[in-house]
Amino acid sequence: MSASVSVFVLSSLLAAAPSDAPADAQADAPTDDAAAENDLVEVSEADEEDKDEYGPFFEDEAPSDLQYLGRARPGRLPVLSLGEGAFCFVEGTYCKASMILSADIGAGIRAPASDEGPDVPYAQFTFRGGVAIRPSMIRPRKRKAWGSWGVGVVSSWSKGTGAVSFGADDDFDDAKSTDDTTVFRVAAINQMWLSKRNHAAHLDFTFGGARSDVLTSGVTLWGTHAEVGMGFGGWGGLFLSGDFLDRDTRVVLGFRGHGIAAGPIVAMALAGLAAGGAL
Amino acid sequence: MNLSLILTTGLLALQPAAEPELQRPSGAPAQDVAEPAAPAEAVAPAEGEAVAEDVAAPAEATAAAPDTAAAPAEETTEVAPEPTEPVPAEPAPPATDGERYVVSAGAGGPPFYDDADTAALRARHGIEIEATDRTEGPRWRCLIADPACGRSFEVNALAAYTYRGRQGRVDGMGEDPRWSSGRAQYDFWMNLPVMKEIAGDKLFSRMTLGPKGGLIFSDGGSTWGNLGMAFRYWMGRGRWAPTIEFSSALTFKIGERELKDAGLGEPKWKMTRGPLGFTADVGFGLGGFGAIVLGGQYDSPLAREEIPDQYRTSAGGAFFIGFRGNILWGGPAAAAVATHAITQRTVEAP
Repeated sequence: MSASVSVFVLSSLLAAAPSDAPADAQADAPTDDAAAENDLVEVSEADEEDKDEYGPFFEDEAPSDLQYLGRARPGRLPVLSLGEGAFCFVEGTYCKASMILSADIGAGIRAPASDEGPDVPYAQFTFRGGVAIRPSMIRPRKRKAWGSWGVGVVSSWSKGTGAVSFGADDDFDDAKSTDDTTVFRVAAINQMWLSKRNHAAHLDFTFGGARSDVLTSGVTLWGTHAEVGMGFGGWGGLFLSGDFLDRDTRVVLGFRGHGIAAGPIVAMALAGLAAGGAL
Repeated sequence: MNLSLILTTGLLALQPAAEPELQRPSGAPAQDVAEPAAPAEAVAPAEGEAVAEDVAAPAEATAAAPDTAAAPAEETTEVAPEPTEPVPAEPAPPATDGERYVVSAGAGGPPFYDDADTAALRARHGIEIEATDRTEGPRWRCLIADPACGRSFEVNALAAYTYRGRQGRVDGMGEDPRWSSGRAQYDFWMNLPVMKEIAGDKLFSRMTLGPKGGLIFSDGGSTWGNLGMAFRYWMGRGRWAPTIEFSSALTFKIGERELKDAGLGEPKWKMTRGPLGFTADVGFGLGGFGAIVLGGQYDSPLAREEIPDQYRTSAGGAFFIGFRGNILWGGPAAAAVATHAITQRTVEAP
């Protein structure tokens, strides 16, 4: 038997030898890989439990026999919701769709172009509304009981402090100002929920357009609106927001509260102003 | 012979990898645990020609009728011990510190700790063994602060006497006015428990800390926004437990009424800019009802040279003492609105 025959026999043996993995496992391997890759799990309508989430933020809470007497709602039922979380009036961890309704106050700086005037303090109050959904929790076939991503549309209206402008030669004689600034915004909001606990923290990224008075020109233009915020459930949170218009930039740090909390505050403020004759 | 070596080497390479060694109970001898024969341990390809010659004959026979499972098994029966029935390891002796686990009868699940184990664990970590005597839950789904709540949210209203001052006017008039006034403040608090305590099987918040924000009003239509942090320490677990509160925030002017001497006709509330200042207060309270609050506020001046005179503002400040309570009780909200209205009507800002 020559060496070539030996090699042929050896090759045949290698090809005929069973591999370490069973045939069934080999057949299933592509399916498993695909499932792991897109991280989807088939769930039925009756059982929405999925235990396939891993990661620093998405681990389930460790089981414990300790709890507060004032645990707001048992289980996963969000507060002020319809259809067990199908639609929530206050955003919650297990809400499939949520109403956004909030009021906020913020302060920062108004920075016009260098030849238009000085940087001046800027403050505003805002009313905001919109809706957000959690796509991975509502898609028809491969639905998760909880998904970290939320997306939606928001619109807001603000009243801010006025602008000051004058010429580049620092001649204050031609200084002009406005009493206030009105801003209207439409934007898309992306949310990343950071845990599955009640009133969980979430990061919000909002990008869209802002229509507002530009400095003291009397002209209303569209500009860019961008915001990053951190909220606790739907109850409120902190944010950093910016409106970028032609030669007129405003950046504010603010605090936001849900309408359920902000409504009484606004009502009391208006009542005090009205009763005091300030309006 | 060379062909035999090649075939042998190929066959050896096809042998299944050696299984990992089984973990044995520490009290049981290794030979008592049945293990399948491990041919790869007996003859490994790396052992060289001498080993390969010893197994040449079965390898050739295997090449004629490939049966990769039977041939190595026959070969290794000489070096591997005969399989025997497994002998269960001796059960571990019970712990001597009184802590043990038992299997609940009929549960069919994992071992569970019993009451004695739980008591021993609580004693080890200094956790109270007896359950708390408090059984009633908080009011209004935790919209009124309570140590029995985890994360909670509340709206507070403050009504306070205020002693205000202004540090001169930037237009050179040299005034340094101080006057008595009132202060109404409406804030939204988000309480996040940062220190918890355990009593029985219940959790209680000992300390909460979280963001807060809202509106502040004083005479002359003065309106500020504020955003900051609120802290509360509970000195008990009851609904009416004493508390110490501390809050601090950035403040910023939002609006005021035009001064009557500005020559602009009837005073009117309007948006007014002002740089960031701050406010801070400390309160001593009872439960989530309310607290006596003592605090102060400072307004930064807007007096940069590149700002025209008519848009500059001077530094100001205030000290205040008053009562802050949750608006769901009604009284604190009414007191704050009344203070706001009375201040607008009766106080003339210099």
